Amino acid sequence: MGIPFGYVLALSGIVVVLGMVCAVVRRNLIMILLGVEVMLNGAAIAFIGAALRWQQLEGQAFVLFIIAIAAAEVSLGLALIVYLYHRTGSLDPEDYKVLK
Amino acid sequence: MTAAGPADTTLLAAIMATGLPFVAFALILLLTRRRPRLSAGLSLTAITVSLASAGFLLVRHWGLARPIEHSFLWVAGGDVSVRAGFIIDPLSLLMLAVVTAICFLVQVYSLGYMAGDPGFSRYYAFMSFFAWAMTNLTLAATLLQLYIFWELVGLASYFLIGFWYEKFSASEAGKKAFVMTRCGDVAFFLGLLLILMHLGNLDIRDLNGAAAGRLPPAVVTAGALLIFGGIIGKSAQFPLLTWLPDAMEGPTPVSALLHSATMVAAGVYLFARLFPFFSLSPTALGVCLAVGTVSMLIASTMAMVSRDIKQVWAYSTISQLGLMIMGLAAGNYVAGVFHLTTHAAFKALLFLCSGVFIHAFHSNDMYAIGRQGGRRLRVPMACLVIAAAALSGIPPFSGFFSKELILGALADLPNPLWVAAGLLGAFLTTYYTFRLIFIILFPAKNGPETVHSQEINHSRNGGYQAMVWPLMVLAGVTVFLGFGEGEITRFLTAPSEAKPGASHHAWLPYAALGLGTAAIFLAWLEFGRRGAAQVGFVERMAPLHALFSSRWYIDRAYRWLLDHVVYRVFSRLCARNDQKVIDGAVDGLGHATAAAGGLMSILHTGMVQYRLIVVFVSILFMAIYFFV
Amino acid sequence: MTLFNMLFFAIAALIVVSTGIAITRRNLVHAVIYLIFGFFGSAFLFYLFGSPFLAALMVIVYAGAIMILFLFIIMMLRVESPEGRLFPPRQMLPAALFAAAYVVIGGLLLANDPSAAAPLVEASTEPAAFGRYIFTHSWLAVEMASLLLLVAMIGALLVGKRPVKEDEE
Repeated sequence: MGIPFGYVLALSGIVVVLGMVCAVVRRNLIMILLGVEVMLNGAAIAFIGAALRWQQLEGQAFVLFIIAIAAAEVSLGLALIVYLYHRTGSLDPEDYKVLK
Repeated sequence: MTAAGPADTTLLAAIMATGLPFVAFALILLLTRRRPRLSAGLSLTAITVSLASAGFLLVRHWGLARPIEHSFLWVAGGDVSVRAGFIIDPLSLLMLAVVTAICFLVQVYSLGYMAGDPGFSRYYAFMSFFAWAMTNLTLAATLLQLYIFWELVGLASYFLIGFWYEKFSASEAGKKAFVMTRCGDVAFFLGLLLILMHLGNLDIRDLNGAAAGRLPPAVVTAGALLIFGGIIGKSAQFPLLTWLPDAMEGPTPVSALLHSATMVAAGVYLFARLFPFFSLSPTALGVCLAVGTVSMLIASTMAMVSRDIKQVWAYSTISQLGLMIMGLAAGNYVAGVFHLTTHAAFKALLFLCSGVFIHAFHSNDMYAIGRQGGRRLRVPMACLVIAAAALSGIPPFSGFFSKELILGALADLPNPLWVAAGLLGAFLTTYYTFRLIFIILFPAKNGPETVHSQEINHSRNGGYQAMVWPLMVLAGVTVFLGFGEGEITRFLTAPSEAKPGASHHAWLPYAALGLGTAAIFLAWLEFGRRGAAQVGFVERMAPLHALFSSRWYIDRAYRWLLDHVVYRVFSRLCARNDQKVIDGAVDGLGHATAAAGGLMSILHTGMVQYRLIVVFVSILFMAIYFFV
Repeated sequence: MTLFNMLFFAIAALIVVSTGIAITRRNLVHAVIYLIFGFFGSAFLFYLFGSPFLAALMVIVYAGAIMILFLFIIMMLRVESPEGRLFPPRQMLPAALFAAAYVVIGGLLLANDPSAAAPLVEASTEPAAFGRYIFTHSWLAVEMASLLLLVAMIGALLVGKRPVKEDEE
């Protein structure tokens, strides 16, 4: 007998929450981006579990795209972080209060 | 409320009498400000038609047995229904005739008096406005309608008293008149509300008729006293009497029209209108009697020491109105109303004659008028003497008949105090009237006889004729009206709702005549004799002189009241309320908004992580909403 | 307790623990390393749930490229470890609150959902079958994903270009 599908969803949820907390609490731009990656990882877990639950390949196809998107987004995001660091010399989001 | 022929013409005549002056007012104000002659023409046309309509109504309904009422439902809600419209009964017809006649004569007179004045059109506009308001007040069918026109008449008075508004004292006088009559009107309105609450409507006929059974006596007394408060204000009785002498700042025709014959008589008219209602409450009648007596006496004393010719007539008006109120409060309806009619004629005549003198000699001071040769203007002087004789109650002029009626009513009362007061008042009236006549007729020889040297910047002939012709009409009325007493009595009592007081005190006319003669003799001794010092016996007594000439310190009492009670307490409270509470609330709202913005700005640190928190929390809420 | 279940719990524990440690590291390099462990765990999980191709892709792309990119940037920028409080309370308290709320509500949802109790049936996908599926059913998405990667590359090149050293204030 396999594990109930709810366990997979619970795992996914915990990972997503961990990612949210990391994005919100850490005072470093890079850690915010890291939190986003963790969240994407949690979503991917949920999709794979769903693919297995309903025995369809659609879920796995979606995970492929999650990975592709994550790659694109991280590269651009880190490029921006480098640029900001060169502009202002700081990676603390507290210092980016131009829109206050 | 019939739809037959006669009723239609009556209604039409009533509408024309009351509505045309308003049309004239509007037209003058809107269109013809720059064309004085056209404005005067419009106004005179309107008042002539009004006079003709009033005459027509009077003649047609002579001997009217039951009042005709044309009214429509105006305000209705719950238990309350107030009508509005016209009421045609002997009293209103008589008053309408008096009002329109005096308006007409004064407007003709003003053609001469106000000629050349820059505000000529405005003057005639306000005259028409007053005529409209006063005629509507006369024909008003319900108390609310009457109250509205009462206020409008007060507004017209304000306009006209302060007509020469560049003069500070004139605008102050207008303000004082308005505020003091307003105080009375508050009481009037409270009385209205009281009656409305208990009765459910404000029909005058209903009030006079069936209300006796439906209202409890306390309400009747309270209502009557409150309405009498309004009468005190409008008719300048004690204690609200000091506005009338100040109102003499207005042009003399205005004083003749408003402040002697018609507007201040509106108070007495209201009393007569509600006479059956007032009669239900002996307490109220007693208070009215007392107030009228006090006003009559103290105004007479004030007139005895005045140097200004118009002020003397102003005090005299207060005194005569007090006498009318005494007559009505003593229970004699015809006496009060008849004296109202005759007083309108001879008081207007007095003012208009004085106006001719003032216009010619540019001075209000009776000594100056006398010295400058007042008696050389023959027609005004003669009319002045006739009117003065009527005022003093000398036969065969009209004043004699009406005063006898009132004194007879006073003698009917159980307490002899009132008739004694009435006789004393008659004595004082004759004294101060003839003091003025003798000062003008026989000026003191010490002092230069200067002919008036100021130039008059408009032609005297045409204006003079316009001024003199109404004088003669009024003088004729004064001479002959007294003989119509019987007819008028029958006319007034045709509805047989009021009892004509049958008083047969044989000694009364002789007592009155004797006192009158004595007063004339005293005045002649002090003022008219050759070589007289022209100083009255009162003026020799300094404390009395001070008391009378400062209006019994009433003005000073008002000043003290204003300064120490109203300004120091109420105004200060209101100002403080305005600053601290109202401004504070509004400013506080602004400050609170700014502070809230400051609070909000803490959230808007621009830091991205707070925004992320907001995003995640909203996802949480959405999850709750959709799935739980 | 089958092998499948035991493996699942072990891998789940690995993922959760390593991710949890990763987000609380002061040193950024340590955080990235722990996260790589977490991604390895994810890869195991994907293989367990029957998609070996995606497991390999996770290792190659996610753990192998993205996290290495993170390391590059961290070392290039010479990021110091932050001093002071790691979790400032101004942000920690709301985060803890909504995290707790999420967990509670998620738990409630899962407990009440009948379809969540269905057991998983083991299966596995051949990469070839997966590829065939991709290119027949979602080829457009594949093309767009490749275009997106091209755009990201161009964007990263542009943004990361050093500004020309002319007048630098």
